[in-house]
Amino acid sequence: MTDTTLSTQESIFTSTARDWSSDMTTFKGVPWGKAMMWIFLLSDTFIFTCFLVGYMVMRMTVTEAWPVASEVFALTVWGVSVPLLLIAIMTFILITSSGTMAMAVNMGYQRRKWAVFWLMLATALLGASFVGMQCYEWSKLIIDEGIRPWGYAPDHDLGAPQFGSIFFMVTGFHGLHVSVGVIYLITVAIRVVRGKYDHTNFEIVEITGLYWHFVDLVWVFIFAFFYLW
Amino acid sequence: MRIAYIAVILFLVTLGSVVFNFTTPFHFDAIGSNWELIDITVYITFIVCGVAFVALGLLMAWWVYKFQYQEGKFAEYEPENAKLESQLTIITTIGVVVMLAPGLVAWNDYINPPSDAYELEVYSKQWNWMYRFPGADGIFGAAHNKYVDLDNPFGMKPGDPYGEDDILITDKTVKIPVDRPVKVLLRSQDVLHDFWVPAIRAKMDAVPGMVTYFWFEPIVERVYEVLCAELCGRNHFNMRGEMHVVSMNEYSTWLNDQVTWAGMQAGAVPLSPEAALGRDIANDAGCFACHSTDGTQRDTGPTWLDIWDGTVELDDGTTRVRDEAYIVKSILDPHAEIVLGYTTTMTTSELTDEELQSILDYMKGLKSAPAKQETTDENESENAEPSSEVDSTTIPGEDPSTN
Amino acid sequence: MATVEVPYQETVPLHHPKTWIGKYIFSQDHKIIAVQYGITAMAVGLVALILSEFMRLQIAFPEAGFMAFFTADHYYQAITMHGMIMVIYLLTAFLLGAFGNFCVPLMCGARDMVFPFVNMLSYWVYLLSVIILMISYFVPGGPTGAGWTLYPPQTITQGTPGVDWGIATMLISLAVFIVAFTMGGLNYITTILQARTRGLTLMRMPLTVWGIFIATFLGLIAFPALFVSAVMMLLDKFLKTSFFMPAIVSLGSKLEYSGGQPLLFQHLFWFFGHPEVYIVALPAFGVISDLISVHARKNIFGYRMMVWAIVAIGALSLIVWAHHMYVAGMHPSFGFFFATTTLIIAVPTALKVYNWILTLWRANIRITVPMLFALAFVLTFIVGGITGLFLGNVIIDIPLSDTYFVVAHFHMVMGVSPILAIFGGIYHWYPKLTGRMLNDTIGRIHFYFTFIGTYAIYFPMHYLGFIGVPRRYYETGISEFYPVAAHNLNKFITIAALIVGVSQILFIFNLVHSYFKGKKAPANPWGANSLEWCTPETPPRHGNWEDRLPTVHRWAYDFGVPGEEKDHIPQTVPRRKAS
Repeated sequence: MTDTTLSTQESIFTSTARDWSSDMTTFKGVPWGKAMMWIFLLSDTFIFTCFLVGYMVMRMTVTEAWPVASEVFALTVWGVSVPLLLIAIMTFILITSSGTMAMAVNMGYQRRKWAVFWLMLATALLGASFVGMQCYEWSKLIIDEGIRPWGYAPDHDLGAPQFGSIFFMVTGFHGLHVSVGVIYLITVAIRVVRGKYDHTNFEIVEITGLYWHFVDLVWVFIFAFFYLW
Repeated sequence: MRIAYIAVILFLVTLGSVVFNFTTPFHFDAIGSNWELIDITVYITFIVCGVAFVALGLLMAWWVYKFQYQEGKFAEYEPENAKLESQLTIITTIGVVVMLAPGLVAWNDYINPPSDAYELEVYSKQWNWMYRFPGADGIFGAAHNKYVDLDNPFGMKPGDPYGEDDILITDKTVKIPVDRPVKVLLRSQDVLHDFWVPAIRAKMDAVPGMVTYFWFEPIVERVYEVLCAELCGRNHFNMRGEMHVVSMNEYSTWLNDQVTWAGMQAGAVPLSPEAALGRDIANDAGCFACHSTDGTQRDTGPTWLDIWDGTVELDDGTTRVRDEAYIVKSILDPHAEIVLGYTTTMTTSELTDEELQSILDYMKGLKSAPAKQETTDENESENAEPSSEVDSTTIPGEDPSTN
Repeated sequence: MATVEVPYQETVPLHHPKTWIGKYIFSQDHKIIAVQYGITAMAVGLVALILSEFMRLQIAFPEAGFMAFFTADHYYQAITMHGMIMVIYLLTAFLLGAFGNFCVPLMCGARDMVFPFVNMLSYWVYLLSVIILMISYFVPGGPTGAGWTLYPPQTITQGTPGVDWGIATMLISLAVFIVAFTMGGLNYITTILQARTRGLTLMRMPLTVWGIFIATFLGLIAFPALFVSAVMMLLDKFLKTSFFMPAIVSLGSKLEYSGGQPLLFQHLFWFFGHPEVYIVALPAFGVISDLISVHARKNIFGYRMMVWAIVAIGALSLIVWAHHMYVAGMHPSFGFFFATTTLIIAVPTALKVYNWILTLWRANIRITVPMLFALAFVLTFIVGGITGLFLGNVIIDIPLSDTYFVVAHFHMVMGVSPILAIFGGIYHWYPKLTGRMLNDTIGRIHFYFTFIGTYAIYFPMHYLGFIGVPRRYYETGISEFYPVAAHNLNKFITIAALIVGVSQILFIFNLVHSYFKGKKAPANPWGANSLEWCTPETPPRHGNWEDRLPTVHRWAYDFGVPGEEKDHIPQTVPRRKAS
């Protein structure tokens, strides 16, 4: 290889590397917003990872007993205590919302604006109902079970005080993401029918979808770590 | 050609650094423990890094001098030189291995105390050091911060039979025998601290809620100053202790004079209700972080033992009678008159007149007794707090010591 | 090749603001935002500089009457604020906020950042974080004095100054800063990945852009850890959760905490904190590579190696964090792993140093002010780098940790070095930014004071660490480990620090004076090749380029190509037929 070839062409790289490092765009045909959302989600992944790692460290290092998830999170229906019922419904709702979101993205690429609108609205409603159920769950934990962020209400000692702290913190942070997502979905849905994105390919619907699927995916991990472990 | 001053400066700075290194008196002081391997690793690193530093510095100075700008001249066009780059990579890697290998060997020694090491616990709190030996049975009693109170400064678990013979030293000085490996266990009552004696080389943080350790074998009989090496609040710089490395005989004699946990519990002297209240108020206000009540001299603040009456030398050179007026003023406005040898880290206290009076009552009663001083402040009260919970900081006594 | 593709930026019209406020205050122009970042960072850095002078005076003259007002609380608050400001609010903000904003779009041949509005927001949120931080000095109890590492439990217990309010403002300010950084960082990365101009492949990008690119990436991965630890510590402080707080007795009072893990904070903090070193260092590496190449009139030696070294350092920096915790009480076996990864990272770093120096070989070196700073950077960085080899090797860290050796090391490697790179960069790009040259004589005087002064401060300081002087001591007194000679050395260091501090007035004067009275700058005063020197106007106007974006035909380092007329060929000049 001579000196001049180095400065002018990348023939020594494999074709993959050449594609990645080629001029103008690294990800061909990917709009700026979508690339940016992916990178943001990468960063956000690390936030949740840190939270979850913190949770695992807590679980492994505290000396007091950790409350039993299936008992704490049980829901009493017609006098029968069903473990994890509420949480199963919440998870089902959130996963369903991911389905409606995927359909909205599909409709977006077909430029069917009203279909996009209704599907996104449905997604937002499902998300909102998720947040509502989470509020119910929290109030149940706080009022009935006596769990507090700093430990337990008097006469309610279930074991390690970190249980409430980390549970409220992580689910709260996730709930915040869902709430932001609901607002984001509604905003985009309205702007879609108003024709704000007519000159584009409706990537914005997909970008919103990326965020929503991410929030959904994070929930799967939270569900697994907090309710099943 | 213009003189490139920068080339001269680079040359002088490189050379000056080397000269400084060889002429400065500031190097590791004489080692006082078995850790020559640390010094050897430092020495190897010094050589490898020193050669690299001098070579690179001089090369840079030389080339800056040699290849100065000339109008119309072209630099050599050489984008890369794979052979040179791989050679440099290999040389650097060899250098790194030479430095790393002895380091890892030494680290392996460092984290594996010899089986014949006896144990010494250092219990740290803001801002002084306390020490505990496992006593005749060679096993430490369980201890936890949750048991700590004024009468139980080490947080000994009540009722633990292993704890009764533990030797507790609230004084800042500890004595250890020469030529015997010691495993130092570290606990903390509040924040991070770090037990450190520069000449010993070894150190480790004390972390509340955990027991950490390191080990060393002192090889010189000497008095060492113990420093805190981890920022622990406003009096961090004053958190000093003393470690005396002494002969086995002297150590045994000294250890026999120290009080055990059982002895400490037995030696209780009841306080008047006013004085007891004063002691609690002073404790809540954090006074005992800096002021001892048993005559122990701390760098953070004067001891309260025998504080009533007598005279004191102030840092402006005057001498003052320690009457009530002086003490009240010193509590309410700590920065007004400072005792010689201390600094002004005391914060102003918000005390009611009643609270102030109780503290004064307590201080009045602090007179040195002719008996053993170690226990004069440990006025025992009933501290029956039976508890059978699993204790996170229980120290397993798997290797009974021989002291 | 994708030559028919049209850059997206050419297809959308650019909105030019009409009002003065739109142009200069709430500006979405990356160059203005860069200046805003730079001025704010320098202003807050000046505060940190003044704090450090107070600290130095206290260390050298603890008994002096004029330091009587400076209590231990003040001292610990000063070290905390100094450290945090310098690392986060000055260095990170300047290298990524100012240089990142200025260099990335210009060097990529872009009109602006991909989302200028988000970019503007990034600055204003950053400003907010600085204001919150500065409010620390006006709340009851003053700023926190927990040290910039903010280790719990000390940070939120009573023995530490600023425990009631100062710590809250500090943590909130950090969280706000992270939001600002994320908004800016997403922009830099997306711009570099998706908004380059025709012909600008990744392997033709100037190393400055590479450094900023990888550093921003690291930031987006590392700052979340700081964010999470700040949130958890705020909860520990105000909601009495026990994430980091075990059962403790603080100054005689039993606290309500139990079962927390102080080491978890340290792990999270250093998972952020170590990449942070490279967040600061990598852009500096990039800037220095460009300065050396341009002013030595020679191509950077081993460009591809330099790129891969940046990438490798970035990747490795994510798995070395616990070398800050060798004496923290973590599981001792970690020492083997982290010592090994830490020393491995020395290899690509050393290669970068070799390549800078090899670039000088048979070069045609113009000793300009930016070049002076670049050369000083290399020497300073060598010292800081090799002392890092001491501290990275776990067993040597045992006696040296928490001593002045550490202080000297990190000031050399991530204090002075990046500052020298920043100075070099400012002297280099100021003509393009303002259209005027900085005064050369003042620049040289400023350089010699800064370089020799900082070296005189920090080189001897290593040796204080060898005799065992611990860091963060308000006052040492005469101790056995602390001879009188060391006190004298401390006085010398303080005097050097004062001289360096005062000499920065020269720099500020130069910046201001030259803006109004400086010599008019030509479009390409240094004869550089990268795209920012090819703008149609100097200073570049909003949008940077004509209707058509520039086309790149070569890398940025075609200096001294044999057979050419001039000793440099800008990136926009077409190649002759490939032979």
